[in-house]
Amino acid sequence: MSKMNLSLKKLFGGVVSALGWVFLYPLTVAARIGTPLLELPAKPASIPLDKWTVVAVDWLALNIEVFFDFIQLVLNSINEGLLAAIQWVPIFVVNIGGAPIRFPVWSLILFFLLWYLSGQITTGLLGLVTLWLAANFGLYIETTETFSLTLTSALIAISLGIPSGILAGISDTVHNIIRPVLDLMQTMPVFVYLIPAVIFFGMGAAPGAVATVIFAYPPSVRLTNLGIREVPDELVEAGEAFGCNYWQLLMKVQIPVARPSIMQGVNQSIMLALSMAVVAALIGAGGLGGEVVRGIQRMRVGQGFVAGLSVVFTAMILDRATANIGARERE
Amino acid sequence: MPSIELEGVYKIFGEEPEKALEMIEEGAGKDEVREKTGHVIGVQDISFKIKDNELFVIMGLSGSGKSTLLRCVNRLVNPTKGTITLHADGSDYDITAADKESLREIRETQVSMVFQNFALFPHRTVAENVSFGLEIQGVDKTERNKKAKELIEVVGLEGFGDSFPSQLSGGMQQRVGLARGLATGAEVLLMDEPFSALDPLIKVEMQNELLDLMEEMQRTVLFVTHDLDEALKVGDRITIMDAGRMVQKGTPEEIIVNPKTEYVADFVENADPSDVLRAETVAEKDFRVHDHRVSLDEMTEVEVNDQNEVVQGYISGTPVPVRPLEDYDSIEEDAILYSSKDTPISKIMRARLAYSSRPVLVLRDKELIGFVKESNILQGLLEKGRGD
Repeated sequence: MSKMNLSLKKLFGGVVSALGWVFLYPLTVAARIGTPLLELPAKPASIPLDKWTVVAVDWLALNIEVFFDFIQLVLNSINEGLLAAIQWVPIFVVNIGGAPIRFPVWSLILFFLLWYLSGQITTGLLGLVTLWLAANFGLYIETTETFSLTLTSALIAISLGIPSGILAGISDTVHNIIRPVLDLMQTMPVFVYLIPAVIFFGMGAAPGAVATVIFAYPPSVRLTNLGIREVPDELVEAGEAFGCNYWQLLMKVQIPVARPSIMQGVNQSIMLALSMAVVAALIGAGGLGGEVVRGIQRMRVGQGFVAGLSVVFTAMILDRATANIGARERE
Repeated sequence: MPSIELEGVYKIFGEEPEKALEMIEEGAGKDEVREKTGHVIGVQDISFKIKDNELFVIMGLSGSGKSTLLRCVNRLVNPTKGTITLHADGSDYDITAADKESLREIRETQVSMVFQNFALFPHRTVAENVSFGLEIQGVDKTERNKKAKELIEVVGLEGFGDSFPSQLSGGMQQRVGLARGLATGAEVLLMDEPFSALDPLIKVEMQNELLDLMEEMQRTVLFVTHDLDEALKVGDRITIMDAGRMVQKGTPEEIIVNPKTEYVADFVENADPSDVLRAETVAEKDFRVHDHRVSLDEMTEVEVNDQNEVVQGYISGTPVPVRPLEDYDSIEEDAILYSSKDTPISKIMRARLAYSSRPVLVLRDKELIGFVKESNILQGLLEKGRGD
């Protein structure tokens, strides 16, 4: 039986391979014939954009180092200043049943701040609980680092983004120039510009802030531009009909009417800044992202999860704090 | 007081309006110009003069160029050709030739505007909206607030100064729009279909209030509408536009009584003439004075003096007083009513219904020029005055 089985198997195997050979051989031949056509361009590429990029980056790094150093200094000063200010506020530690329970004063400040900004006490409570949890997860320092990096970057992104958006809103030329730049900034995979950021600014918070600013800049521009363009014609006419000059029209009509849209842009910028500030941990920006990266590298599921959860809470705080500012004024 | 003069105003939309203008001057029609050059004629050869303190209505269907013409007056639209002159404060402003800065000044101080969809600033309170023009003028805040408060009262919105426009109904929003237009002190007011977006009842209410306001506040108003009844009601004079051209210009009565083209006649056909026809138009003027007495019908006669001024009325030989039409609901005794020559016949009809069906005298100042009986009214309404 076993011999029989064996021979049957052989026979079956032979038939299958024969069939396979008959059908597949022509395909492999065809594939071989087709290979030169199907293969990706042989390296070196005929348009060596990759090499040019390297040359350009090297040239920039060598020749305008002073400029990059200056930016690095500014970014670090703002970030570290903010961080120091945040961390200056104390944490009280109370031993309850032998375990030290931390009570950061910030959680209380955040409670009132969020309550005031959103108009809802539940949002305030969210802030209170979030920060209290972060402190007792042992991630207080990391949370503050992420906060300050996010706010620093968002602040810069917004203060550049709103004016650019206003310019794009009132001038078609600016709009046409800035649009592809924004597309590039938003669709270029984020890891790609982490590399030049490191080359220009070294490791640490400064390159992280630069990458974050680049990522968080477009939504402010886009939504400001949209808001300005969507101001009803009749309102612009009304402004003109009462004798507004160009500047008055902008300051008294267009920008205030576009305000809800602009505030939405601010909110979006802050949220994107947070997401990028976490990724920037890959180039040594620290914070909660650093914890996540360490969790991945060392296969520590728990560490990664807790840090990830803290990022989610931080995101919720930032979102609730800024989402309602535009809407609230209409009431 | 200001007045505005338009002379040969054209507006052509497109890249090279001069080319289209040439074609028009050679006699090409609107459609021909559009086909050959792609240019759209918005307004074609409009000339008229708006007198001071007049409410001048531009009426036409949508696309007739009425809003474009209105916007030419404060140059929200730049006319292609022609001149627009504003006479105000004892000087002449050539609006069409004004540079940016003087144009801005004219808009700031001389000409203000009320919009169809109100165009209130959503981020400003009612008071801030009303004082917007003053803010642009650089008036200080206390003065601004005072003026805003005053005008909010004038338009009947006391207590809403701190509300936002989105909290108000359409009628109230347009009151804000009107107050904003009046606040700058500009004596020329451009109104672009101000009541078209309102409910019919609110619309009538607003028209009445506008008329009252204009009596109080002395403004020269250019009023655009597509609604003939509105035009007839508010307008001192009306110009009717069709396809960018001015088809007819005249008082409401002239337009009702004597439509010049088919287009105007179509418009006028369904209009209610009773508010427009005046006593003088329908009155029976063919009366005889016999021994200082005029016989109105079998029972009624009046005594006049040598200047044809009415001295005494008689009903069936009994002397009765002669009283103004407006007082009909407070007259207790028998009396003969008189109206001025410009009283609309709707008022006479109302008085006759409520008080007495006796003939109503029609006076020019004090002189008797005729009287109105039922048959005159009926004839006037049927023939819109033409059967005179």
